[in-house]
Amino acid sequence: MKWTTEDIPSFVAEKQYIDTALVPLLPINFDNSIKQSAAMAEFITVMAAEIERQFHGRMLLTPPFTYLSEEGVQASKERLEHWQQQMKGAEIKHIIFLTADSEWKKVENELDEMLIWMPLVPFENMDSEYKKQIISEQIKQLLPLVVNKWKENP
Amino acid sequence: MVSEKNHNVSRRQFLTYTLTGVGGFMAAGMILPMARFAIDPVLQSAGAGDMNAVADVSELTEEPQRFDFSYEQVDGWYTSEVTETAWIYQEGDNITALSPTCTHLGCTVNWNSNESYQNQFFCPCHGGRFEKNGTNVPGTPPTEPLHKYEIEVRDGTVYLGKANPQI
Ligand code: FES
Repeated sequence: MKWTTEDIPSFVAEKQYIDTALVPLLPINFDNSIKQSAAMAEFITVMAAEIERQFHGRMLLTPPFTYLSEEGVQASKERLEHWQQQMKGAEIKHIIFLTADSEWKKVENELDEMLIWMPLVPFENMDSEYKKQIISEQIKQLLPLVVNKWKENP
Repeated sequence: MVSEKNHNVSRRQFLTYTLTGVGGFMAAGMILPMARFAIDPVLQSAGAGDMNAVADVSELTEEPQRFDFSYEQVDGWYTSEVTETAWIYQEGDNITALSPTCTHLGCTVNWNSNESYQNQFFCPCHGGRFEKNGTNVPGTPPTEPLHKYEIEVRDGTVYLGKANPQI
């Protein structure tokens, strides 16, 4: 389910079936890394949309969690935990964080939820056929991670 | 005294202007969506609804295979590329193309993806299952068959249109 007025009513009505949230984590920079920040946002947004398409009936794609890299990953993590509490409070059972920012790997063990880190594939200058191929390859590897998480803890 | 009177008038004028302004906004708020309704169908006819070339007949087998296709969708002033998937198989002269969208809550189903359920479409989300022809397996969450694409075959190419409910 997407964060739209079209999908949210279904989410509310079918809550017992939609027990998983997908949260993109996007770093924001205005300095030299601004290009990198944009590339990550582009890449992760496309990936998140594709995962949502596959698991539409069980997964809620939230708006991205954005943070300044300068904020420091510990501070971002604390804010993220706040999101996490709110979602758990809304009876969302599984939470999946999706990011290309390697900072999160440093705190992966401290997160209670699943972190999927994907190495950034910059889409700029890529022709659309090749881009599609890359996306579907990556998605193919990613889907079993989600399905297994459900299997382990239905 | 005079200045007080002037003051009053100008306040009334001010109110009049303001109200006209607000009224104008409200009118715009009502008319714009109506204009959108009027214009939208025209704009939309450009994308969905057309037939798209999806596969060659020679590629088809009795086993459903996955084919992806994309087209441009125009929504208002915003154009986006939409990718869709179809599961297509051929039996004798009959070609069937099914939508992969689970009729329960819309996850994407896969053919033969669960060892326990051979020769069925399986939905990873809540275990929905469908027969090869799209019929939903009773006792699983979906309550209607997978939707079927409109099909046209021209010069050995399979074109797909909209996916419609089977019942
Ligand atoms: S969405 Fe397929 S079984 Fe629920």
